Amino acid sequence: MKKIALKLFFQLAISLSIGILGYKWGLNFSQALSLSVFILSILGTLFFWDFRLSFAFLGTSLLLLTHTIDLENLIKFSSLEVILFLVGMMVLIGFLKEGGFFAWLVSIILRMRKLTATKFLISISIISALLACAVDEVTSIIFMVVAILEICDYFEVNPSPFVISSVLATNIGSSGTVLGNPIGILIATKSGLTFEDFIFKAFPLMLVSLAVTILIIRFWYHKPLEELDKKIKELGANEILVRLISVPPEKILKVALGIFGLTLCFISLHHRLEIILGLAPNTILLLVPLISSGLVMFWRWKKARAYIEKDVEWWTLLFFLMLFAQSGTLKYTGATDVFARRISALVGHNLIFLTGCLLWLSCFGSSILDNVVLVAAFIPVVQGFASLGFSLRPLWWALLFGACYGGNITLVGSTANIVALGLLEKEKEIRIKFLQWLGIGLIVGIVTTALAWYYLAIIYPKM
Amino acid sequence: MKIKEIMCREVKSLSPEMSVKEAWELLSQMEISGLPVIDKEGKLLGMFTEKDILKKIFPGYLDKVGRFVYEENPKGIKKKVSEFEKLKVKELMRLEVITVDEDTALCEVARIMLTQKVRRIPVLNKEKKVVGIIARQDVLRGLLGDFR
Repeated sequence: MKKIALKLFFQLAISLSIGILGYKWGLNFSQALSLSVFILSILGTLFFWDFRLSFAFLGTSLLLLTHTIDLENLIKFSSLEVILFLVGMMVLIGFLKEGGFFAWLVSIILRMRKLTATKFLISISIISALLACAVDEVTSIIFMVVAILEICDYFEVNPSPFVISSVLATNIGSSGTVLGNPIGILIATKSGLTFEDFIFKAFPLMLVSLAVTILIIRFWYHKPLEELDKKIKELGANEILVRLISVPPEKILKVALGIFGLTLCFISLHHRLEIILGLAPNTILLLVPLISSGLVMFWRWKKARAYIEKDVEWWTLLFFLMLFAQSGTLKYTGATDVFARRISALVGHNLIFLTGCLLWLSCFGSSILDNVVLVAAFIPVVQGFASLGFSLRPLWWALLFGACYGGNITLVGSTANIVALGLLEKEKEIRIKFLQWLGIGLIVGIVTTALAWYYLAIIYPKM
Repeated sequence: MKIKEIMCREVKSLSPEMSVKEAWELLSQMEISGLPVIDKEGKLLGMFTEKDILKKIFPGYLDKVGRFVYEENPKGIKKKVSEFEKLKVKELMRLEVITVDEDTALCEVARIMLTQKVRRIPVLNKEKKVVGIIARQDVLRGLLGDFR
């Protein structure tokens, strides 16, 4: 109880102090208040993860009560389009799960023939990254961990190095497309970046970062890999694993695969379709999951309510909604324009330097904070740089790469890390220690962010 | 009607130190799916059911994976079964147990069973000691007899 009171005291004291400092620094009362409330919500996620929605609700109410923002603008800034996109995707993923799509993927991993430790490492890393690109990092990591646990159980080896490798690859993969992470769609909607932009600008860097990560992991975990190789030789081929599970090829699986394939196809073509149909940027991108989930709920009408009630994570989405509204309030009050002006003066109006600063700041920030929280905080600041004559595109990429790659540094750096380690602890009673993760996490986080830095500073300006 | 009129007063229970194997054999002999776990003073510590055994053996992520069919018995499960004899009841029992007191109305117990999805509920006295147990069958017997 004492610990909770102390944490609460620190949370309030820090938020209040930052607000007062901001006021002294040149912010007006509304700007300082909006900053204090936003910091309160951010610290709420850090100190009281289970109470984050409570802090978000109370903070948003305070902003309305004090006339810091009005209802109309609060709704405008809550990014309903992002929330609806995520609702659509969650329904679709619920349907894919019900159809056996993910179990089918697990069975494919289990069916790997002529297994060697290196082949296993490369396969799980590539599949983790690509699956994160296609669905999202949290959904992807659950199925990857399931497959890894089964394989490690069979060969009687410690699954920890392989689970950690899969998580590292998942976080890197989540930067490859708009679908990989909620921050992808958030950045896309705020910046006007399209799926094609992600494929041409983010995906290749993701692949290079993944290759480098695999090399680092191969070196870092050479002993567990040798152990696995020894066990594979000792226990022979994975005959039981090959036949372990099957997914009946029923109509629902085929329909699930069809709808998912079409969804990915339309999402990848959204920019072209928007031009042809004369629609505003990203309209099709946001609509496709809604159309797909609408069709799913029409076909499976008896289960429609269950998809919405069980598969949509309302707790998380409501938190995002409140958080976006609060970060929007920083923009509404003009606080972020003040930050943008001050930061721009500090970096001497140098875009490359500013990009580097933002990249590293978001990298280290997301190693402690949830990356959605971090990106939501930075978006209005980045938007504020537009009026100062900066080209925003490299800044958006810096935010994306920093927030995704930085998630690898600590074991609380991203939701995928927490979910995977939770499964490992629950199923195998293995608890990964902070420093145990930090060794490999820090190396991978820094090396991949350095790659992104090189890409944004040297290669991107020439593209 | 109050449940003290129909509850079973001869409560068979398990001790927390009992091995899971012994506990399961007892459940099997009695042809029931669960029993309360009680300490030496008669206070309720938890509930032990067949479902807890299955939950321990099978991975918790089964429902997360979605639809699939086991074509073979996973090696990990065989390993867990082989480790079973070492486990004690206290390691598997459920600690959060729904209980009622002797003066609870029959319909209230039925409501709890339906809404909380439980099959049997331990009945406690004011000293929080187990004085009986009421199962779905007792409730039905009481209800059909009461309203007939």
